[in-house]
Amino acid sequence: MAAAAPATTSPATATPPAVSVQHLRMGYGSKVLLQDASFEVQRGEILVILGGSGCGKSSLMKHIIGLYQPMGGDILIGGRSIVNATAKQHAALQRSLGVMYQSGALFGSLTVLENVRFPLDQFTDLSLDEKNLTARLLLKQVEMGAAEALMPGELSGGMLKRAGIARAMALGCDILLLDEPSAGLDPITAANLDRTILSLRESLGFTFIVVTHELSSIFTIADRAVMLDPVSRSIIAEGKPGDLRDQSTDPRVRQFFNREPDRAVHTAST
Amino acid sequence: MGTETVPATSARPAADAARIVLEGRITAFTAAPIWSAAKDALARNPNRPVVVDASRLEFIDDVGIALIFDLVRQPRPAGASVDVQGLAPKFDDLISGIDPKAFAVEPKTRKREGVFEQVGRATAQELANAEAMFAFVRECGREFWSAIRRKSSLRWSDVLDIATEAGANAVPIVLLVGFLMGVIIAFEIGLVAQAFGAVIFVVNGVGVAMLRELGPLMTAIVFAGRTGAAFAAQIGTQKVNEEVNAISTFGLSPIAFLVLPRLVAACIAMPLLSVLADIVGVFGGALVMVGFGISFMQFYTQLLGAIDAGDFVIGIVKAVAYGAAIAAVGCQRGLSTGAGAISVGLSTTSAVVTSIVLIVVIDGLFTIFTS
Repeated sequence: MAAAAPATTSPATATPPAVSVQHLRMGYGSKVLLQDASFEVQRGEILVILGGSGCGKSSLMKHIIGLYQPMGGDILIGGRSIVNATAKQHAALQRSLGVMYQSGALFGSLTVLENVRFPLDQFTDLSLDEKNLTARLLLKQVEMGAAEALMPGELSGGMLKRAGIARAMALGCDILLLDEPSAGLDPITAANLDRTILSLRESLGFTFIVVTHELSSIFTIADRAVMLDPVSRSIIAEGKPGDLRDQSTDPRVRQFFNREPDRAVHTAST
Repeated sequence: MGTETVPATSARPAADAARIVLEGRITAFTAAPIWSAAKDALARNPNRPVVVDASRLEFIDDVGIALIFDLVRQPRPAGASVDVQGLAPKFDDLISGIDPKAFAVEPKTRKREGVFEQVGRATAQELANAEAMFAFVRECGREFWSAIRRKSSLRWSDVLDIATEAGANAVPIVLLVGFLMGVIIAFEIGLVAQAFGAVIFVVNGVGVAMLRELGPLMTAIVFAGRTGAAFAAQIGTQKVNEEVNAISTFGLSPIAFLVLPRLVAACIAMPLLSVLADIVGVFGGALVMVGFGISFMQFYTQLLGAIDAGDFVIGIVKAVAYGAAIAAVGCQRGLSTGAGAISVGLSTTSAVVTSIVLIVVIDGLFTIFTS
């Protein structure tokens, strides 16, 4: 176990945590990816879910969003269960979450501006001018103002992700979940994206849950990290990334943060 | 939350300033009436300074920020400026960093084309498609010749897999369509022939129509909708996922790797399916003719006198031609797919429509040259 044990409860506070995962058991069919996982994300916090490829990071995010039903346990969004919610409550809870998928998931038939305006078109009574202004301000916040008239097929990977963040923010969701925001980006674009995340937290107080295994990004943005392990199918570490790197006695955590190859690979190569 | 205009209580910015008070929470879901009320308040005070009091706001999201920015950026005469007071510094920083003149230009919208532009673009597109199709057929011919000379280069395992999917798995639908065609033709002609006492000659019509025309034709239409569309979607998705580029960078020809197996499989599957359609179609016709007083034996005897091997061979040759055309069009549309899911959909639609048009054209040519 690493620096700190996974938190299963939080001190009594006036407002419930933004997200609370309680004794979650998840998987597909008979395959269990994660069992008895518990952690909380406080409002205004940036939590990073990390771990090697195939450990279930993106699946955990999709369970938090309510796209998949867990095998057991509960997930609370702002104190309300998304697992046991009625269909109407489930939809309302999903609308309270802004999600950026790995590829940006922009709609290919709409321009960037129309993509960002899309949630406003669907769920608000604002006039077209008001929606356009809101969407353009959102794009400016993620430094995408110049690309508003472009189609998604004309954007680079980093631009797709930033436009995806702008669309996720459109309904004023104060909890944003980002799936691999830095993956496949050049260091400068990735650093710009990290800066955008920090700036949005600073100015608007957003809560972020970020799935990533990019070490530089983790150390830049994360207040706290939870690390998943595919072998034990559990959370093996939780705490500040710097503490996990410097103080963890768990070899799996040290191997991850020190970017060490598996022993067999290491032996073969030396 | 409420938006209200009240007389200014302070001396700043002017004694006669109007005041818009924003309070409570402004979110995407609550902003619409507040936004229009605030703009109405500005409109009612066109020549007075206006103070927007944001000190009582509990929470605003991006829409709330846009609302306040919209009030600030409204064009006003000198001495009638809009001043925001009491806004939390973190929000103030967001708004103050934006030039009020920004976004003065309306966002670009996609231009709707006129009728002439659409006709011109469609014509140019069809000409380009025809040119690309000729080049594609030439390339296929070259690769096919190359595959014949180097016998190992055609992937026969792929051919069998595709032929199974396109042929064997299509048997139920082809049987159903073929049978119904035989029944319909026999019934429709039978009703007319009955009036002239020539019911027995309906057998001739059913036999010739199914073997020469309807068997291959209906099979081809099913094949175009089922297999031609699948070829375009499969190769189109591979193009979008850059699998086609990966094949090219291995030094392989996408035509040899992706197209030839599908072409050969289609040329094998189509005549076999067509024969099945012929058989069940004739059988369906025979069943109907029983209702008109023609026994199975009479039907059989009349059929043998009505058709010959030539009718059957023409049907088979047509089926091969249809299969080659459908596979070629499906593969070519797949390889010319652009970027994104929409392009795959367009390629698939185009493949089916072009295939059906080609089927009719090929049928017409056969009719001319074999009559």
